[in-house]
Amino acid sequence: MTNLSVEQIEQVAGTLRRAGGSGVACAPFQPDLPGATLEDAYAVQEVNTLASLASGRRLAGRKIGLTSRSVQHQMGVHQPDFGMLFADMAFCDGEAIPADRLMQPRIEGEIAFVLGKPLDRESLTLTDVIGAIDYALPAIEIVDSRIADWKIGIFDTIADNASSGLYVLGTRPARLSDFDPTLCGMVIENRGEPVSTGAGIACLGNPLNATLWLARKMAKVGRPLREGDTVLSGALGPMVPARPGEIYEARINGLGSVRAIMDA
Amino acid sequence: MRDFQAIATIVDDAARFAKAIPQLSLSGHDLDLDEAYRVQAASLARRYQRGETPSGVKMGFTSRAKQIQMGLSDMIWGRLTDAMRVEDGGEIELADYVHPRAEPEIAFLLKKPLSGKVTLVEAMNCVEAIAPAIEIIDSRYEGFKFNLPDVVADNTSSSSYVTGSWFSPATDISNLGMSLEINGRPVQVGSSAAILNHPARALAAASRLLAEQNLELEAGWILMAGGATAAQALMPGDHVRLQMQELGMVGFSVAAAAKGEK
Repeated sequence: MTNLSVEQIEQVAGTLRRAGGSGVACAPFQPDLPGATLEDAYAVQEVNTLASLASGRRLAGRKIGLTSRSVQHQMGVHQPDFGMLFADMAFCDGEAIPADRLMQPRIEGEIAFVLGKPLDRESLTLTDVIGAIDYALPAIEIVDSRIADWKIGIFDTIADNASSGLYVLGTRPARLSDFDPTLCGMVIENRGEPVSTGAGIACLGNPLNATLWLARKMAKVGRPLREGDTVLSGALGPMVPARPGEIYEARINGLGSVRAIMDA
Repeated sequence: MRDFQAIATIVDDAARFAKAIPQLSLSGHDLDLDEAYRVQAASLARRYQRGETPSGVKMGFTSRAKQIQMGLSDMIWGRLTDAMRVEDGGEIELADYVHPRAEPEIAFLLKKPLSGKVTLVEAMNCVEAIAPAIEIIDSRYEGFKFNLPDVVADNTSSSSYVTGSWFSPATDISNLGMSLEINGRPVQVGSSAAILNHPARALAAASRLLAEQNLELEAGWILMAGGATAAQALMPGDHVRLQMQELGMVGFSVAAAAKGEK
């Protein structure tokens, strides 16, 4: 159900676009739009997705957010959310990430799944997801917010492409049977310190559960996951600030490691 | 000269009778760290007199975040005894504790004594086996509040420990995922990497810290490497289970209702 007018949706989308373009964060929208629904928020996101596609950006996959029960609770929701990943958001393991691409970056250690088959039916089950995954990679998601000081509500983050920023993928593909997606340990290390630790089970019980949720959702909203799509399946541990000039390495037990190099 | 025996009696009685006490530092016993370890030793001597025997050592503040929070630059340690062991699958009574909390850990079983400053290789060469473990910590201080000497004098909140099945020390334990579950629901999720980035470092640190007091880790002892996540408060009827990558699981239950005062 949508409560906002087309004009309101366009206005929020425009404000977010300008904030991203200028690097100057905007105020949260949710306090002034008490009646706004999740559908309204996704409608805003869709306006900007269409704008991105029209400008020539290539859709490379999706991210799943709010996969931890405690974060869902914080946001007052009982489901994850999703955002779009565009090809220009992908960085390589060890490649310097320019600071001017980001506003207030934070990082999360995640498992990325790359699909070898489309997931374009609505009545999907876990076996469809398992069968469609070609390989997994360790990933660092660099989340970001166009909302000042990350003072986000659920409407704000969904409208803002689920607080997507950039992402870095590891380079050694693993098959699903080669690691334990539920109990794999995850650590993000910075200067020898474990700054975030977690495990697969923190992501909706298992990152495959999150991926199934996403696949169903995407089929339902008419933008189904396709062959070759990358799915960032959700954080395995707490999100931590990414400071300029620092290097962060995420290790996922059984999957290997990946480094994000934050340019000063 | 402080009366270490008298202070040791205060903390020992608090643990023995599960009665909360005010912090030592707030009740006229403002100890320094060395004095706090002397109180701990005297308090444990009372346990040994009652027939308990030493069974190992536990490490505390093995995460940098916790050290910073406590204004510390090093870890702390406490003593374990045979009376603190809880069988895997066993049951505890809340009446035996003040306000217990469970922490997921890794336990090392030593086959050889370990002393002084050692390398990680030397430390691991003394390890017979490793196991998933749950430590039940229980500060004897009101409100679980204490300063550093307080907690050291209180045997670093040591209370009970449960170990699961033993695995080869060749297992890579640097980044094992873990899920501490209450009645089947994950309540704390983490990785063994939270323990100093590698739990074996806690073993080497224990050897170094004990040597500062002319002590060593003995063959047959257990070393509890420190909590990998925040501690979880326990309620009557809780079933507590730790699942750990590669190392299986370990668990215990909390009795539904007190079966009588201790």
